[in-house]
Amino acid sequence: MGSQLMNRIHWQLSVLALAATGLALAPAAAWAHVDGHHGGGFLAGLLHPISGLDHVVAMVAVGLWGAVLGPPALWVLPVAFPLVMAFGGLLGLLGVPIPGVEIGIAVSGLVMGLMVLLELRPPLWLAALIVSAFAVFHGHAHGAELPAGSNALLYSLAFVIATGLLHLLGILLGETRRWPGGRRFVQGAGGVVALVGLWFLEQALT
Amino acid sequence: MIALLAHLTPTGFGPWTDGMARLFLEPTELLLVIALVLLAAQSGRPCTNRLPLLLPLAWLLGGLIGLHLSEELLQSLACTAVVAATGLLVALGVRLRAQVLLPSVVLLASGFGLVAGSALEGHPGALAALLGETVAIAALTTLLGQLLAPPHPRWRAIAIRVGGSWITAASMLMVGWLVRHPR
Repeated sequence: MGSQLMNRIHWQLSVLALAATGLALAPAAAWAHVDGHHGGGFLAGLLHPISGLDHVVAMVAVGLWGAVLGPPALWVLPVAFPLVMAFGGLLGLLGVPIPGVEIGIAVSGLVMGLMVLLELRPPLWLAALIVSAFAVFHGHAHGAELPAGSNALLYSLAFVIATGLLHLLGILLGETRRWPGGRRFVQGAGGVVALVGLWFLEQALT
Repeated sequence: MIALLAHLTPTGFGPWTDGMARLFLEPTELLLVIALVLLAAQSGRPCTNRLPLLLPLAWLLGGLIGLHLSEELLQSLACTAVVAATGLLVALGVRLRAQVLLPSVVLLASGFGLVAGSALEGHPGALAALLGETVAIAALTTLLGQLLAPPHPRWRAIAIRVGGSWITAASMLMVGWLVRHPR
């Protein structure tokens, strides 16, 4: 009975993971129909977060790390991240300079990837602080790029939703830790994120 | 955004339907309504039960006054900041007592209705459009309120807070955008 229930949960999780992957990547199918220079609008906002691999891996890593940490971090991190990211975006829009934004974004992938790889479990306040600190860099970069369009709120909303879906994708991938071999898979995903972060860090420093 | 406030998008079905469509084409107003429903759902059943009546009526009252204003009220920045603050209350999991939440809903809805009414003033069929928008708000508030009425399973309580954080984040970015691109 118990194993049937677990199987059903695992099956539902895998369907959710597929759905989240589809939702997060679906906008790429319409890429050719968007004129990036004009910006604005819901579709452009959905596309923006997935246009940079450094941002994508960091967002997925937030969800992965939340899954490794378990509740309440599982949902506290994805709630805190958009709020602080938007604050960073506000600073970017207002022209408040933050030094080393690209380096900060690359380090975020490296650090959070390592956290997942090594299954580090700091206290919740420290994990939230780490994630929030990196969220400022991500938000600042995107805020500075927010286009002058007529649908800025729709753009912003879509941008935040796409970021949230990437978190959800990370959480669902992280939940595969319940499966046999899932723990190694999640650690491997963390390793990939860390390597991508390291590559972007090397690019940012040279 | 300001251009949208000044115009009704013609749907081809007359001003009533144009007004209904306006709610879904004007993201600031839509987000406020959703944020208030989320806040009410978080605050308890007395709030969710009364919201579908209070919110549309207050909106209509404000709108009727706004229709008689000679100039359009351009309050995009203030309205967006209010939406951000409301979403933040949801994201933080704040539970307000009905005695606090419901008067706040009346105040906010009448204020947003006033701005909407002033934007519709001068359009042919402005009153019908305002009534259409009010009906759309009533329908959305009722449906969403029933869907999210407490008691909440754990996952739904989390989803409500995530929704609040998304609304706040989008609104904060919009506030920055409005400051950067003043009209």
